[in-house]
Amino acid sequence: MTTPQPVPAQPTPPRREASQPVPAREAAPANRLAARGLTLAYEDRVVVDGLDLEIPDGRVTVIVGPNACGKSTLLRALGRLLKPRNGSVLLDGAELACVPTRQIARTLGLLPQSPVPPEGITVADLVSRGRQPHQKWWQQWSESDERLVAEAMERTATSDLAGRLVDELSGGQRQRAWIAMALAQDTDLLLLDEPTTFLDIAHQVEVLDLVRRLNRERGRTVVAVLHDLNQAARYADHLIAMKAGLIVAEGPPGEVVTAELVREVFGLASVVVPDPVTGSPLVVPGAPWQPSGPAAREAQDAQDATATPHP
Amino acid sequence: MRPAGYAVVRPGGRASFLVHRRAFAVTCVLAALLAAACVAYLCVGESFVAPGEVVKVVFGRPSPDELVVGELREPRLALGLLVGAAFGVSGALIQTVARNPLASPDVIGVTHGAGAVTVAAMTYGVTSYTALPYLSIAGGLAAAALVYVFAWRRGLHAARFVLIGIGCSVALSSVTQLFLTKGDYLVAQQAKVWLTGSLNGRGYAEARPLALVLLLAVPCALWAARAQRTVSFDDDTATALGVRLGRVRFGLVALGVVLASVATGAAGPVDFVALLAPQIARRLTRTAQIPLPAAALTGALVVVVADLLARKLFSPTELPVGVMTAAVGAPYLMWLIVRGRSRSGEPS
Repeated sequence: MTTPQPVPAQPTPPRREASQPVPAREAAPANRLAARGLTLAYEDRVVVDGLDLEIPDGRVTVIVGPNACGKSTLLRALGRLLKPRNGSVLLDGAELACVPTRQIARTLGLLPQSPVPPEGITVADLVSRGRQPHQKWWQQWSESDERLVAEAMERTATSDLAGRLVDELSGGQRQRAWIAMALAQDTDLLLLDEPTTFLDIAHQVEVLDLVRRLNRERGRTVVAVLHDLNQAARYADHLIAMKAGLIVAEGPPGEVVTAELVREVFGLASVVVPDPVTGSPLVVPGAPWQPSGPAAREAQDAQDATATPHP
Repeated sequence: MRPAGYAVVRPGGRASFLVHRRAFAVTCVLAALLAAACVAYLCVGESFVAPGEVVKVVFGRPSPDELVVGELREPRLALGLLVGAAFGVSGALIQTVARNPLASPDVIGVTHGAGAVTVAAMTYGVTSYTALPYLSIAGGLAAAALVYVFAWRRGLHAARFVLIGIGCSVALSSVTQLFLTKGDYLVAQQAKVWLTGSLNGRGYAEARPLALVLLLAVPCALWAARAQRTVSFDDDTATALGVRLGRVRFGLVALGVVLASVATGAAGPVDFVALLAPQIARRLTRTAQIPLPAAALTGALVVVVADLLARKLFSPTELPVGVMTAAVGAPYLMWLIVRGRSRSGEPS
C-alpha cells in the first residue's frame, strides 16, 4: 500500500520559513516580492514602463516621488489590484496573476489609500474580517482567529474602541482600526498606500512607529508609499525614489537622499542636513518667496496697511 | 477578541460559526410574528374561521372548515410566503452588490423586463396561464442579463450598474405602456392587474416551481451570507481580503435575479417588497450587512400582512396584493429611519 514513491524534485517556491539560505537557483528571485519588466497602464496612458524591482525581505521599503509619478500605481500592481499590461509581479517566485487571490491574501496584506468600511460596522467586527482569507464557511471562528484579532487590536491600541462604530471614529482612530484589520490578516508582507494621509502630525508619527515596530519585532516586510520625504527618510530601511514611472534612485535613505536627487525628482531647490534626532537626511526647502524690487515693496506695504485695521 | 455582539457556536469537531446575537433574536421574533400572521391570514376572510379550526386543518385533522381554509386560503398563503421570501432575499443581494439601499430587482430591469414580455404576450393573444409565468421569467432574466452586460466594463461598477438598470427599466416600461395603449381594453385591464402583482386565484401551481427554486437557493444563500462580509467593502479592500470580486458579484446578482424573476413569474411584480424588506431587516438587526434570513422573513411578513389587508379591507372586492405592500412596508421603514437618526445620528 505505502510503496515509497520517488518524490519528483518540484520547484517549490521558497516558503514562509525561508529565512535560512535557500539553495540558489538560476533566475529565482532572491526576495519574496519582485517585479520583472513591469508595464502598468490605465486605458491608453502608460504610467510605468518596463520596471524591474526587488523588495528586500524583512525591511521597511518606502516609495517616494512627486504626484502622479506612478508610485501608488506600482503599489497597486504589487498587491494585484492592478493587472500589469506587460511583465509580471513575482510573489515567492510565482507570477501573481497565476496565484489564487485568496492564497495571495494569506501571504500579502494590503491597505488601500481610502478604504470604505461596510455601513454601520463596529471596530472589532472590522478587524475580525481581516481573518476572512484564513477561514472556511464551516470554520468561521477558530482560537487563532480570536488570538490574532485581540493581538492586532492591542498593538494598534484599538481594544478600547472595539464596540464603537467605525463611522464615528476620528481620522487617527479609524486609520488604526484599518491597520489592525490588515494585521489580523497575519501576512508576512504588508503594503500600505499613503497610510498617513489625512492624519495630523502626531498620528502620522504614531502610525509610522507602529509600522516600524511590526517590522522590527515581527520581521514583517513592509512596503509603504509616503509623500513626505522626511518621514520616508526617517522610517525607511530601503528608499525608492520614482519619477515619471521610473526608479531614479534606490537604497538606504542616507545614501539616496541628496539635494541633487530632490532637485531631480521633485524639481525643488533644497538643503539636505542631518536630522537632529535620528541623523537621517532632512530635506529643508530653499528660502520662501520674498518680495523684491521697489514695486513689490510698495505692494507689500499697501497690503500691510490694509491688513492691520488697528494701527 | 471576538467582535462585539457575536457569539461563537461550536457544534463539534473543528467547525465553528459566528452568530450575530441580535440578528438571531430578531430572526426568531420575526418567525414567531410570521407564524401568527399566517394563522390570522387563514382565519380572516369572507367568513371567519376560529384559530383552533385553522390549526386543525393545517395539521391535516378533519374539520368542517377544510374547504375554505385548506383549499382556498392555504395555497394562496403558501404562494404569498414564498414570493415575499424570494423578493426579500433578492433585494438584499442586489442592494449588497450595488452598495445602494435604493437598489432592488425593480431597478436593475427584472421587473420591467418581465412586465414588458408578459404584456406583449397578452396583447398577442397568449392567455395560457401555464405559458405566461415562463415568458415573464424569461423576460426578467433577459433584461437583467442585458443590464449586467451593459454595465460591465473591466469589472462591475456599482453606480454604473444601478444607472444602466434604471435606464433599461424606463425603456422597458415604455414598451409596456405601448402595448397597454395598443392592445384591447380587456387585455389592458388584465395586464394592469398582473403588473400590480396579485395572488388572486393563484396557488400551488405557481408556488411549486418557486418552492423548488427557493430550496435550491438555500445552500447558495449560505455561501452568499459569507461573501457579503467582504463584498460590502470597497473593491480594493475586498480584493486585498482575497475575494474574486468579479465572480462573487456575478454569483450574488445571478442568485438575486433568479429569485426575483421566478417570484415575478408566480405573482407578478409585487411592488416595493424587495426594496423595503432588506432595509427593515437591517435596521432591526443592526448588522453591518443585510441579514438574509431576516430579510426573507420580513419579505414574507410584508406580503402576508399586505394580502390579508388587500383581501379584507374592501371585502368582498379583493385588491391585488401589490397595492398594499408599499402601504404596509413604507411607513414602518420610514419610522425606523427617523427613530434611528434621532437615537444615534447614524446616517441612513
